[in-house]
Formats: sequence, C-alpha cells, structure tokens
Amino acid sequence: MSTTRRLGLGALALGLLAPFAGSPHRAVSGALDFDAIARAIDDGSDHVSARQLGTWIRARKPGLRVVDVRDAKAFAEDAIPTAENLPIDRLVSTAFKPGETVVLYSQEGAHAGQAWVLLKALGVTDVVFVPGGLADWWEEVMTPVLPADMLAADRDAAADLSRYFGGFPQVGVANGEPVTPKTYRRRGC
Amino acid sequence: MRDLLVAAAIGVAFGWTLERAGLGDPPKLAGQFYLRDFTVLKVMMSALVTAMLGAFWLDRLGVVDLGKVYVPETVLLPQLVGGLVFGFGFVLSGLCPGTSCVALASGRGEGAATVLGLLVGMLLMGLAFPSLEAFYGATPIGAMTLPRLTGLPYGVVVAGITVACVGLLAAIGRWEARR
Repeated sequence: MSTTRRLGLGALALGLLAPFAGSPHRAVSGALDFDAIARAIDDGSDHVSARQLGTWIRARKPGLRVVDVRDAKAFAEDAIPTAENLPIDRLVSTAFKPGETVVLYSQEGAHAGQAWVLLKALGVTDVVFVPGGLADWWEEVMTPVLPADMLAADRDAAADLSRYFGGFPQVGVANGEPVTPKTYRRRGC
Repeated sequence: MRDLLVAAAIGVAFGWTLERAGLGDPPKLAGQFYLRDFTVLKVMMSALVTAMLGAFWLDRLGVVDLGKVYVPETVLLPQLVGGLVFGFGFVLSGLCPGTSCVALASGRGEGAATVLGLLVGMLLMGLAFPSLEAFYGATPIGAMTLPRLTGLPYGVVVAGITVACVGLLAAIGRWEARR
C-alpha cells in the first residue's frame, strides 16, 4: 500500500471516529457558575466606573474591548470613544479572544448588566460593565462637577481625563454656580 | 520575544512546505482555475483535513483547549466581495499572499510584483477605509462555524468533511492517473 493511501485511510479512520469522541465545546450553554457570579456581584468585580474606563482607554490598556450593547442607531448618535457596537443578539454569538478585557455599557446600565450575565454564562471570564452606562460617562468624564473639597491631585487628574476626551470639567459649587477651571484650547486636530 | 521566534519558525516551515508543494510557481497556481492542475486543491484539502483532525483530536486528548481558540467573525457581504477581489487577484497574478512571499523568497520576479501590489493595495484600502467603513461592518452574523450553522454535533461535521475531502482527493488521484 502506498504512503498516500495509508495517510488517506488514517484520516478517514480518525474522521469517522470523531462523532463518538464527544464535543470540544463544554459548558457553552446553560452551565452557569452561580457561586462565581454571586461573588463577583458581591465584591464589585462585575463592574467598573466610567472614570476608570476613561483611564483605561487613555492608557491604551492592552486587550481592552469596549462594547456598546445598544442598537446601531443609538450607537451612531453617541458612543464612548473606541467602543464597538455589538447589540445583545450579536454579542452572544461573538467569540472573545483570551486576554481581552470586555467592558459593556448601555444607555443607563440595565442592558449592560444583563449582557454581563449572558457573557458570564457563555464562559467569558474577563468581562465588566459600566453601571450607569453612557449617562455615567457624561456625568463622570465628559461634564464632571468636581467637589471643591476634593484632593487637588485627584481633581486635576479627573479634569485632565475629561479634557483628554474633549469634555468640560467644572469645579465645586461656589455661590450656587459651578466654577469652570482654566480650559485649554485644542489646537490642530 | 519567544512568541515572535515561534511565529518565525512556523512561518518558515509554512513557506518551505508551500515551496516543496510547488505553490511558488504562478502557472501551476493559475492552472487550478483552468482545471489543468489540481495541486492547489490537493494541498489545501489535505492541509484542511490534517489541521481539522489534529485540532479536534488534540482537544479530545486534552492537549489543547479548542474553546480558547479565537473564531473570527463572519461579515457576510464584505467577505463575499473581498473573496471575489481576492480570487480575481489570485488568478491574475497566479499567487496568493502566502505564495507570493514564497515566490519572492525563491527569487521570482512575479513574487516581487505581487508583494508590491499587495502592499499598495493595503495602503489604498487604509486610505479609503473611512468611506468603506459602513460596508466593512455590513451584514455581520457573528462567529459562525459549521456546527453552529447546521446544528449538527461537532464530531459529525468533522466526519462529514473528512469523508468529503478524502473522497474528492481519491477521485482526483484516479482522474489524474487516467489522464
């Protein structure tokens, strides 16, 4: 028998045995690790603040994948920079690479929270969501009102982050009017 | 660094195998499109079956975890158009991206021309991307695999593809022997 024929028969044998070898896709649907999910919710490792997400985006955190779970129309109107649009029906059929940190957000946070449970059930380990969604992004990053009694270094860091994304930070409330700190004009692009 | 070295070693092995299979030769590759020479089909199908069986059985034996393997997303319409453009370039130059590098490495002028065309194409694509972006993401259907598409168990799909490929390879062998 020639080598080619032997190889062909070997491949056929391995192929025909495959249906009896079980499936490589374990725990794909319905296998929820309830304890791990409850622990994550309990200790808060299920979510991340909008401001923290902002620092991750600015620092170009390796493997960061910001996912907007709203529909395409809402996404086109306004979205967090670097985000990609994966509505929930598409999200569940998306494969995430190992080493990716998936950050989910929606308009107010409810849908992102539901999407978080779905992804956990699908076995995606490194996933978090922004509790207040896009609303939080605007409140904490784009137009934050920073308390006047906040530590100066923290306040500057938050204002810096806001300006990085083209936001308008305001400091404290003096005589009922927020004080806008010195802003820098953006030059060029 | 280790990853790069491993990647380089796999790349060299891949290129060497392509060259040994005769796939650095543009007339041979173009011959596939005119049904004169079945080398491309034979190499591709035997590689496909080997990789599929290898991945499947290594997972079943606990050596690798297929669940951790990234499955690229299918974006139907742009990939269809991209496939046609790719095929057109393939038959035009007699080389694909991998084989053009092989042809270049073995000193063929066609290889150099194709690699140059490839780089220019990538540059143009990058420049035109803003106007193509909407089309680029149109009709996405997620990470699609045959088991998911057909609803059949993974092993059954593996068996079906093996039988089809080995059968076709045997038929081509017989047809070539008769010629």
